[in-house]
Amino acid sequence: MIKASDVAKGTFILINNQPHVCTERDYVNPGKGSAFVRLKLKNIKTGSVLRQTNKVQDNLEDVSVEYHEVQFLYADSENYAFMDTKTYEQFTIPIEGEEEKRDFLKDGENYQIVFWEQTPIDIKLPTKMVFTVSEAEKAERGDTVSGATKVITCETGLKVKVPLFIKQGDRILINTETREYQERVNS
Amino acid sequence: MESILRQRVMRRARFSDSVRMYFRTSGYAEVDTPVLSPFLIPEPAIEVFRTEYLPPSGPARPMWLAPSPELWMKRLLAAGAGDIFQISRSFRNCEYGGPHHNPEFRLLEWYTVGTGYLDSIGVAEGLFDHLIAQLVPGPRASLLAPPFLRMTMEEAFFRYADIDLAGCQDVLSMRAAGEANGASMTGASTWEQAFHIAFLTLVEPRLPRERPLALLDYPALVPTTARRRPGTPWAERWELFVDGVEIANCYTEETDPAALALLVQDEEERRHGCRTSHEIDRGFAGLFPPDFPTCSGAALGLDRLEMVFAGEKSLEGVIFFPFSAIVDGQSGTEA
Repeated sequence: MIKASDVAKGTFILINNQPHVCTERDYVNPGKGSAFVRLKLKNIKTGSVLRQTNKVQDNLEDVSVEYHEVQFLYADSENYAFMDTKTYEQFTIPIEGEEEKRDFLKDGENYQIVFWEQTPIDIKLPTKMVFTVSEAEKAERGDTVSGATKVITCETGLKVKVPLFIKQGDRILINTETREYQERVNS
Repeated sequence: MESILRQRVMRRARFSDSVRMYFRTSGYAEVDTPVLSPFLIPEPAIEVFRTEYLPPSGPARPMWLAPSPELWMKRLLAAGAGDIFQISRSFRNCEYGGPHHNPEFRLLEWYTVGTGYLDSIGVAEGLFDHLIAQLVPGPRASLLAPPFLRMTMEEAFFRYADIDLAGCQDVLSMRAAGEANGASMTGASTWEQAFHIAFLTLVEPRLPRERPLALLDYPALVPTTARRRPGTPWAERWELFVDGVEIANCYTEETDPAALALLVQDEEERRHGCRTSHEIDRGFAGLFPPDFPTCSGAALGLDRLEMVFAGEKSLEGVIFFPFSAIVDGQSGTEA
């Protein structure tokens, strides 16, 4: 069991015997009411979305999951392909519903995959990842207003707003949750 | 060029000055009341912070950090202080994080003698007009500009959840109405819990956001110090939502000692389910003299208001040392 107050984004819980992952979690304490958490939950099997509100002290049924270290191999039109780094077993995860993760999957890079009852159910991205700038326009001379940005493209196709001084070939740190530039990385 | 930190410092100082200027020029006197209290009004929805006073000799005396200045401001009001306002440090324990909660926060509370809750909407609209003129929030001004939208809670439940709230006056009917409209009500064991789960799941996410919204006439079954509208299931209470964020709570204040004594007794019993306990303010129910005029009181989360005026998504955008940063051991604010 897990207290509703301890459910966070990425927590797996069982609702009506169906595994769900929490995709949004909002703590609300109405002016004169009990404290609640408002959860947005995605059914891992069907992809359907469920919104529910729980008292913070409610007990929810947590899901026992396993984390496997895997290497990303490639993506085709329908699936992401991975290889378990311990067993060398290859498997796929459907892209549908996970399209936004494509920009963060680098060929040959290691990731963690969540397994529930021997089935891969979720790709865990590190909160911050380093990418290489593959396309960047040069900053215009004189365009030095503080805070000015430009959009660059990384090796996975990820497009990010960055400061003007970032150039092609630079390595930059990106927050995978907000898709925002963090800093330039010295190589 | 000013650093980002300097800009934030100046923005926060200007915001507080502007709020004070509005109330002072509107005839309100600024007061200051204790944060450290030997007793509190019982409010089961609020967990509190406990500390101790150590006298020069003798045993320690338990004290609590006030979750709002209400118990002291009402003493001033009842004693004839007239129209008053305060920006107070307030403390609420067991906050579970998120962008809109900090255990220590600033509460703007104001009381107006001789007026009811609907008049106080005008006071809040005047405050917003004043702040827009002083702070020039740019394109966000339309989200903040009066006149506020007005909608009753009954209409909001009917419009967004297809629920006849007036017909749901017991826990079973409230739970059934929530379930019938798609909310999971399994955790609701009291009427107040069932109402809030239905409200938070079905109604609040759909409330209009294009202008500030005063949501009027809350159910009297949610216990508060708001006066009940005679002959109706509603209390004379509104809450203000700005861009989907709950900002303020206002009542026509109940001043009848018998009604307040019942409320205190009921709230004291319901506090048994809380994680924290405190001494009860035994004098609260009898504060107001029998001939005390109608008055209205409003409490507004000032950090949240500053957040929406600044276009920030989190209190961390306006508080220099948010609680999460303090407890994580970070020493300062990002410049």
